[in-house]
Amino acid sequence: MTLATCCLGYNRREWAQAMQAEFIEAGTASQKLGFAAGCLIAAWREMPRHAEGRLILVDHALALGVLLPAAFLQFACAIGMTGGPGGVYGVLALVGENDPYLVNAQAGAVPILLVLWLLLGATHLRLAWALLDRDRDRVVQAGSLVAAAAITLVIMVAVLRLRGAFLGPVIGTMIVELAFVVVTSRLHERVSAESYPARLTA
Amino acid sequence: MLLLLQALSARGRQWCHGYDIMKETGLLSGTLYPLLMRMADQGLIEAEWREPAQVGRPARHVYRLTTAGAAFAQTISDGQAVAPPKALFA
Repeated sequence: MTLATCCLGYNRREWAQAMQAEFIEAGTASQKLGFAAGCLIAAWREMPRHAEGRLILVDHALALGVLLPAAFLQFACAIGMTGGPGGVYGVLALVGENDPYLVNAQAGAVPILLVLWLLLGATHLRLAWALLDRDRDRVVQAGSLVAAAAITLVIMVAVLRLRGAFLGPVIGTMIVELAFVVVTSRLHERVSAESYPARLTA
Repeated sequence: MLLLLQALSARGRQWCHGYDIMKETGLLSGTLYPLLMRMADQGLIEAEWREPAQVGRPARHVYRLTTAGAAFAQTISDGQAVAPPKALFA
């Protein structure tokens, strides 16, 4: 019933309360379960019909369809599971290629690069979680962490004079995701202002 | 929707609870509530909160047909060709 209430959103909150009250009146445990399942289905069917519900669907699509695969892509790239000389093995292959005087520094930095890359994957998971929680502050925080980890990775690659081509797909994917997150955040602000102005001003 | 209209129409101006309508019509909650929401949006039914019969229970929603709803139910039962409110079938 709690899930159904969340899915119905602010504009249908009175209907959610009505369902809750009837749920208490439903007879046996199995009848209650059937009633709750029906309410959840009803709430899901209602979601595409209101702006808040559509936004929840967009958040889920973004988190499950974009951020989660991107997180696994980062992990796979970092540990070189994507085929070819990728990830940390690719970085090791580049050591000493451009500047033989930097061999020690480059080799020493490989574990840090690996940790940073894995951190990038982990922050993607955190971003997806915050998005599904509809916690805008945590979304901003996780988005900033993703950007910070990526920028640090790029700076380290540049300072160590490693060939940065291996970072291309990673950074490209990340820019697209963050653009999606910014767009949905804007949509959230707009829908919040339209759906429940009274709650915002309270 | 016909079942729901018939059930509410049979009760006239009497208020009834959602769970009672479910038992009477055999409709499941997943079907009943979207219909009730749509019909309320269209002004075919009216809803009101009622104090619970037992202490400690939450207030319950009750429903009945509005005048427009009753007229629509009458038209349907008379078998006249009608253009139903769009949102009900959207």
